[in-house]
Amino acid sequence: MDLETISARLAALEEAGLAAIRGAADPDALEAVQVAYLGRRGELKTLLGGIGALPAEHRPQVGAIGNRVRETLEAALQVRRAELDAAALEARLAHEAVDVTLPGRPFRRGSLHPLIETNREIARIFGQFGFVVYEGPEVETDVRNFQALNIPPDHPARDLWDTLYTDVPGYLLRTHTSPGQIHVMQQTAPPIRALLPGRCFRYEAVDASHGFEFFQVEGLMVDEGTTMADLRGLLDAFTHAMFGGGRPTRFRPGYYPFTEPSVAFDVQCVVCDGLGCASCKRTGWMTILGAGMVHPVVLRNGGLDPERYQGFAFGLGTDRIAILRYGIDDIRIFLENDLRFLEQF
Amino acid sequence: MRVPLSWLREYVEIELSPEALAERLTLLGMEVQAIEHRGADWRRIVVGELVTVEPHPQSDHLLITTVRTGPGEPLLTILTGASNVAPGQHVPVAVPGAVLPGGRRIEVTRMAGRESQGMLCSGDELGLTSDAEGILILPLETPVGAPLVDLYGDAVLDVDVKPNRGDALSLLGLAREVAAVTGAQVRWPEIALSESGTPTAEHVAVEVTDAGLCPRFVARYVDELDVGPSPLLVQARLSAAGVRPVSNVVDASNYVMLELGKPTHTFDAAAIAEGRIIVRLARPGERLETLDHVVRELTADTLLIADPRGPLGLAGVMGGAASEVRDATTAIVIESAVFDPVSIRRTARRYALRSEASLRFEKGQEPRLARIGADRVAQLVAQWAGGRVAPGRIDTAPVEPAPRRLPFRPARVVRLLGAPIDAAEMRALLARVEVETAPAQPGDAVRVAADMPSVVLDAEAAREALVAIVPTHRRDLEIEADLAEEVARVRGYDRIPGRLPETPMPEYRPDPRRAVDAVRDALAGRGLDEVVTHALIGPHDHERLGIAADDPGTIRVTNPISAEHSQLRRSLLPGLLRVLVENERQRRVDVALFEVGHVHDLAAGEPREQPMLGLLLAGDQAGAAWNQPPRPADLWEARGLVDALCSRLGVPLPEATVPAEIPPYAHPGRTAQLRVSGPDGQALDLGRVFEPHPRYLEAVGARSPHVAVALVSLTALQAALPRARRYVPFPRVPAVERDLAIVIGAGRSAGDVERVVRDAAAPLLRGLRLFDVYRGAPLGPDERSLAFRLTLQAADRTLTDEEIDAAVAQVVDALATRLGARIRS
Repeated sequence: MDLETISARLAALEEAGLAAIRGAADPDALEAVQVAYLGRRGELKTLLGGIGALPAEHRPQVGAIGNRVRETLEAALQVRRAELDAAALEARLAHEAVDVTLPGRPFRRGSLHPLIETNREIARIFGQFGFVVYEGPEVETDVRNFQALNIPPDHPARDLWDTLYTDVPGYLLRTHTSPGQIHVMQQTAPPIRALLPGRCFRYEAVDASHGFEFFQVEGLMVDEGTTMADLRGLLDAFTHAMFGGGRPTRFRPGYYPFTEPSVAFDVQCVVCDGLGCASCKRTGWMTILGAGMVHPVVLRNGGLDPERYQGFAFGLGTDRIAILRYGIDDIRIFLENDLRFLEQF
Repeated sequence: MRVPLSWLREYVEIELSPEALAERLTLLGMEVQAIEHRGADWRRIVVGELVTVEPHPQSDHLLITTVRTGPGEPLLTILTGASNVAPGQHVPVAVPGAVLPGGRRIEVTRMAGRESQGMLCSGDELGLTSDAEGILILPLETPVGAPLVDLYGDAVLDVDVKPNRGDALSLLGLAREVAAVTGAQVRWPEIALSESGTPTAEHVAVEVTDAGLCPRFVARYVDELDVGPSPLLVQARLSAAGVRPVSNVVDASNYVMLELGKPTHTFDAAAIAEGRIIVRLARPGERLETLDHVVRELTADTLLIADPRGPLGLAGVMGGAASEVRDATTAIVIESAVFDPVSIRRTARRYALRSEASLRFEKGQEPRLARIGADRVAQLVAQWAGGRVAPGRIDTAPVEPAPRRLPFRPARVVRLLGAPIDAAEMRALLARVEVETAPAQPGDAVRVAADMPSVVLDAEAAREALVAIVPTHRRDLEIEADLAEEVARVRGYDRIPGRLPETPMPEYRPDPRRAVDAVRDALAGRGLDEVVTHALIGPHDHERLGIAADDPGTIRVTNPISAEHSQLRRSLLPGLLRVLVENERQRRVDVALFEVGHVHDLAAGEPREQPMLGLLLAGDQAGAAWNQPPRPADLWEARGLVDALCSRLGVPLPEATVPAEIPPYAHPGRTAQLRVSGPDGQALDLGRVFEPHPRYLEAVGARSPHVAVALVSLTALQAALPRARRYVPFPRVPAVERDLAIVIGAGRSAGDVERVVRDAAAPLLRGLRLFDVYRGAPLGPDERSLAFRLTLQAADRTLTDEEIDAAVAQVVDALATRLGARIRS
């Protein structure tokens, strides 16, 4: 074999190899082409095996041509491999396509009860003013629920609370969270800023605005200089935080045996903005809580000297706040626990 | 209290509109809850004059009248069934198109063949008097043709008088409040009597056995009277105020109660034996028929008005039927007394007879009103029923107390209110509610609280102090703070400026609800819905839990709303199941709920309440979807949630055991007791997870076959909380996993295997996970294969194969010796 012949064969091999590479339809075929042309027993090796028969001066030249052919084929292989890979990936992606408008996997959303969350929100707002949470029992003594709060047995003011009594002598279901005032004063020295959320009970016929079980939050602030002006300022701040700034409030006399002076606190009706509607009995106002300056007898029963200490207490109806906050028209829904209701919170 | 404005105007000038007056009273603490416009529904009812009255030719109970309703108006022909009409009378006429109270329309009708062009009205039909028999005969001076609403229409305020202001449960009392607002003068009614005949003392004697229960008793005697209806105006006023007119004598007593706030009683004098009235406690076995014709057995602490023969009435609460004033009565004894408020309150409650009178007595009465009330009733009876008022009164305590002196410190008032009000303004404000003031003297004592030693003023303090002279009707003004309220009230609460506190902050205190809120947040985050159910449940709810209706550990309500809510819950379970059942009714069968609440019982005779967490799962927990299979609620779902909750809170995973005793509401084979160890290594009983017993589910009406529950003690959970979260370095060397299929026989549980593995592999074991459970061939019939994956790791080095093999061998060995378990290879 001479130089021309071998050169021509190499050229032919290159051409045939490139054609085979282009013609390989999948990675396996391409692999076979690679083995056939560039493998250990491939055509290129076989052809170049005959190089020994050439004269020594031609060998480097033929070697160079052979290398170029290998490089050309290898480069072509690489390109073709990339083409096939890309095509395969595309095919896989096309195969994997789905209807993306199908719904997502359903996760349960979960919910927190609006009454308890309203209590938490109330505590959060007053917490910003330094109020801390305490707890008192649901089953209370007559002494703490009434007598220590300046409501002796047979006092006409007892009519303000229709009480559920228990068969345990001296114990009743607390009618308000106010006995918490006594608990707090007995365990803490002033300055006191306390909140007592809790469940209360009254003998009440159930209707859209009354239940025999309901929730309240008691507030108590006692030190040497807390005044009615502080009470008003805090209640205004609370109202604005809960119902939006700028809503007018009204401070008027109320009556509780355990506060003196006593206060009823009204906010402009959140339903009609003061124009007068059924919700506010056409007055434009809604009473959201009762409050007042802690009665000296109560301070004394809490172990404090009323000549030195003074302060205020208030009792917020959680149900009432929640009704206004969420626009609910019937408090019975809170204890019905209908999922269609709960899922909205 | 219902306050007709036309009546209130007798005692005070009012220029404000009813609405404006209502707002001013509300801001003064006399909350007006409603304004009723009486007569607003008397449309087209006018005053008519009867021109002719003739019998109906075809009917013997109908009369044909002709009525003039104004000059130039055509005469109307109107038929009536009443017999009290005569020509010349003035009567209310509903002309065609009129609407009566209650919405009744009046049109031209035919009765027994004759046309009737309207209707003559009775007092009852108009709501003016209680007479439904005859047509209301108006005074002759009533102008013909005038709309009735202009003559008898009124605005009635419904005032919520607070329990401390018994004095304001009267027109005069509210007139004083109006005067405080407007600055007008209060006009007392003029009380003048002309007395004649033999003195009262010759007709009546009064003996009070216990002056503590009846501090004052005033009696008067009126005879030669004619019982009949009261004047129309009086009847209209009483009706508007909500009191039914009865007769001139009874009405006089009620009128004075509303006018002065002084309840009195009138006895038929002929029914009082020997004219002797005895005020005493009831004796055992005594009975009394009260005015409502109920015969009552009297208990020994009932205060009575009696005569020598026996009881005449329940003092301050209700009179007796036998001594009631009747049409034939010609002489009466007027009782105007003061009774012990507590005694009256107890009597009224005991006999369930709470009357307008008892309501006023139990708030306490001003002593002088006993005298004034007796005189006023006598005057009105004489005026309305004729009769002769006997000279003089019987009076058991004629000395009347002087106004109370109440020293106070204006500086303290300012300190309480936080508003700058000087002493001169305070004096002016108090004067508007008839509280005069004077300078204080050294030695005057300030009452800070009723039952505390007073603060005695020295010379210097006295210079800064004042004395309030409290009129006797203001029984509520007792201490310094009461005067602060009075000052603030008359000045206007709304004038107290708001400010944020500048006083010292309290000490930090951890929020006791923090852990509970973390539980709530974690569970809501896991997709559970929080519920709040009743703390009061029924005996049936408890019985289904295996707690007898009369179990001594249950706290019961003695006056329940209903049996369904008569016991304090000892478990959250009944409430949770009720929520499930209610939602199943709405076709919501896949639920996941939780509640945080207290359960109650008696421990050593004392009420005990414990915070609990209850969670209930029912139906499919995966959420029905096109791309996932359903996952019915079961024991392990509930347990997994408790595990997730614990690990979220940093509490070690609870260990489950089979409880020694299974409660009747739980599935006997699907109930696990959970134990957890606290930060000090103490074992804490965390609660139970279980599937309810099918019979229990059936009993409560739950339809879902897949229900699981966890009841967790929040006290135990809180005790198990780590004191602080500490970072534990994790090994950076590789961990090795080894799977073991452990075959156990009957009577051995997964929990047993887990305990033994943990024990045996202790120092190197990093993780242990059960990934398969297998029963069946080639295992024996009672055998189970539990496949666990053990993760082994040392803290500081890569484990060698020898170490790993040794650890596994140790586990296998322990399983074999302690549980008789073998390894399936």
